[in-house]
Order: sequence, then C-alpha cells, then structure tokens
Amino acid sequence: MVRRAEDTTDLELEIWRALAQVHDPEIPPCSITDLGIVERVRVTDEAVEVDLLPTFAGCPALDVIRKDAEAAVGPAAGSRETRVRFVYSPPWTSDRITPEGRDALQSYGLTPPGNAPVGGAVRIPLGALRDRDAIITCPFCGSQQTELESAFGPTLCRSTHFCQACRNPFEAFKPKLP
Amino acid sequence: MTPSDDARVTLLLSLADDELILGHRHSEWTGWAPHIEEDLAFSSIAQDEMAHARLLYNLVGPILGRDEDSLAFGRQPEEYLNALLCERPNLDWGYSIARQYLYDTADAVRLEALTSSTWKELADLVEVLRLEETYHLDHARVWFQRLAEGPVTGRQRLADGLSTGIGEAVAIFEPLPEEEALVSDGLLPRQNEDLLADWLGAVGEELERVSLDFVLERHRSVGEMVPTGSGEVEEVGQAFNVPGLVKRDGRWTHEGGFAGAGGRRGRHSPDFQALWEEMTGLFRAHPGARW
Repeated sequence: MVRRAEDTTDLELEIWRALAQVHDPEIPPCSITDLGIVERVRVTDEAVEVDLLPTFAGCPALDVIRKDAEAAVGPAAGSRETRVRFVYSPPWTSDRITPEGRDALQSYGLTPPGNAPVGGAVRIPLGALRDRDAIITCPFCGSQQTELESAFGPTLCRSTHFCQACRNPFEAFKPKLP
Repeated sequence: MTPSDDARVTLLLSLADDELILGHRHSEWTGWAPHIEEDLAFSSIAQDEMAHARLLYNLVGPILGRDEDSLAFGRQPEEYLNALLCERPNLDWGYSIARQYLYDTADAVRLEALTSSTWKELADLVEVLRLEETYHLDHARVWFQRLAEGPVTGRQRLADGLSTGIGEAVAIFEPLPEEEALVSDGLLPRQNEDLLADWLGAVGEELERVSLDFVLERHRSVGEMVPTGSGEVEEVGQAFNVPGLVKRDGRWTHEGGFAGAGGRRGRHSPDFQALWEEMTGLFRAHPGARW
C-alpha cells in the first residue's frame, strides 16, 4: 500500500513510526529508535534519507538493520527514493538509549548500561565496570550483589556478570561513554 | 607546504594496517585462549580492530579508487604499512598481553592527538574508535597488572614479552614520509617524535611502579643489538630492537634512530609472509570476493 502524507513533516513522523518497528536482531525486544540508533530523518521532494549510528563499529547486525530499515521506510516513502546509511558523527553513546529501551533490555534479561537501583540513566565511567562500588543489578532478581566476569561477551555490546544472590550468570549492555 | 595525497594515504594506511594486522593476530587466540572469557575477549577485540581498519579503508578508498576489500586483502606484502610489532606471532600469553599493552597504550596516545586533526572525517572516526578502544586498554591493563603481581613464572613471561616487544613498539612512532607537511597542515596534529615521548614517559612510569623497568634498562645502550644502517630488518632473538632508550630527568625517552624498522615504508619481518598468505588466501583465489 502506498500512502501519501500531506506535507514533509507528517511524512517524517510516519518514517519515524516505521523505524520504531525495526529491531536490532541481536536485541530483539528493543527497537532501533529506542536504542538511539536513528540520528536523522530527512524528507525532500525526491528522497527519504535516514542516517543511522552504529552502536559498535564491528557489529555484524549493521547490514541487517540497514536493510530492515529500508524495507520499513519504503511503503511510507512511496515514490520517493529511500536512502538509509550509517554515519559516524556524532558517535553513538549508550546514554542515547531511551527509558523505554532500557525497560525493554531489562525485561529481555539484559541489564541496561549504567544500571542503578532507582530509575533514570546514570552515567558511570567505564573503569567502574570493574569497580566494587559500581552498581550492576541482576536483571533476574534485582540483587546488587553481582560480579563482573568479563567486559566482553557474546556480542560486542555486552559484558558478562554473575549474581551472587540468585547464582545466575547474566549479561549487561556495556556503557559506551566518553 | 601541503601534504600530497600520498602522505594522506600513508597516514591512513599506517593506522588501518596496524588495526587489521594486529586484529588478525588477536583472532588467532579464538579457540586457544587460556579460558573462555579470554577467548571471547581476544575475539571481540579482534572484531573491533578489523572494523576500525574497515572504517579507515573506506576513508582512504576514494583517494586510491579502491574499495575496502581490495585494500584489506588485495595488496602485495610490501604495500602494507603496519608497524612490525603488529605482525609478530602471538608466541605465548606473556608476549600477547605485553604486546596488547604496548600497542593499545601507544594507540591511545596517537588517537588522542588525531581527535584534533584538520581532516574532519578522520577526527570524527577517531572519536568512534576511542570509545571502543577504552575497553581494549582496560583489558590490557587488567592483565598487565595481574601478571606483574606474579606468581614468578607469569611475571617473568610478561617481562620477557615486554622486552621482546618494546623496541618494535617504539617503532609504532617511526616518522612518516612527508610527516612535516602532515603536521604543518594539521592532518597529523603532533609529530610522532612528540607522541613517542609522551607514550614512553608514561610506560616508563608504569613499569617502574611494578618494578619492571629493568626491561627498559636492557635497551638502554646502542650496543650489540644495533640493526644495520641500511634499514634492513634484522632478527635478534624473536625481534629486532630499536635501541637507544635512556632516562633523562627521571623520564624514559628514546634517543636512538629507527634503523631496522621501516614498517611505515612497507618493510616487514619474515613473520609477515605467512600471515599475509593466510589472510589474503581467499581473496587471491577469488578476486573481488566481498568482506
């Protein structure tokens, strides 16, 4: 179905809504808009341009995300050409993840970056991943009695931890902050 | 003086080839590291480094009219401009950690300088790289500290690894052809000589803190380990040595030359040939294959 928006502002909103349906295949519950990957949507008479920011440069899901984004935007763009590309400025940082995105990560069993006992994004320095005082709560039982196993994990964006309270290994989304 | 396209290419390929070749060596730990967390760590670091090389190849590609695959896999050995440190085999865990520590601390100094490069696209990419390199540096430092604290075998292996790698790590900062023009134009905001002084001073302090500075003492004099003046790479044990480390006013510094290095001019050690053959094998068998 080809839909036409009255003006470019309406169309931009529609594009954003379409992009909210695209998910990172490595983090299924989290849309790319909630991950803060979508940097810019621009509509001209000829084209719909979408600029995306990679979370980690070596993420193997990037091509899939770009193709999924193109497919999602296509119907709304109608006769306009769709151009989805990755850009590297500004750098993606983990504080771009929205509160909804953090909730989605949490419910998926992945501790959001800069996790703290009471809500809100908390900036912690990278070294604090290892720091005894850093609070990485267990996504399963909520305990703060957790240990860092490794700053690396099954994907580039995850670290691995162990919960002393419920004795479960778990993963956290790595903070990526200047 | 405006740097030529060749100078820009050399700057970019030096950075990119270091990442690609060391990334390749790191990837050789996949499946063989002492435990699974380290398997994942070196595999992830390798993945990051190759991605960084890819970004840099895509920046230099338009100047050369070549794509990322042809730059990564389609060049002859003497066209790769990586520092020799990056191409050496992993040897043992002590050397692998020592090399990662030496390389990533040096890389951090170089990247920090490049954040103010007048080449906007390069400065932007460097910001992306630095956010990820932080984790590499963290990994290297944790292991550096752990091995330095002993027991004695681990500490000895780290010391041996540092001793093997320190000379070639100094040569990461080997001056580039047309460096003067690159610096005066702000593409490379600071001379390699200055970056080397910053890095070596800081490394000297860290080695003193764990009483491993005797490693630097070994490379103090321009003695028997001098490579030939012709610039040929000479094997001294596992690695050749850029000599001339001295302590001035309480700070370690380098007063020797770079004879025997030459990575930035396409000279390599015998170790590179086998790496190159394996790394480019698929691309040579199937020209035009895509990453």
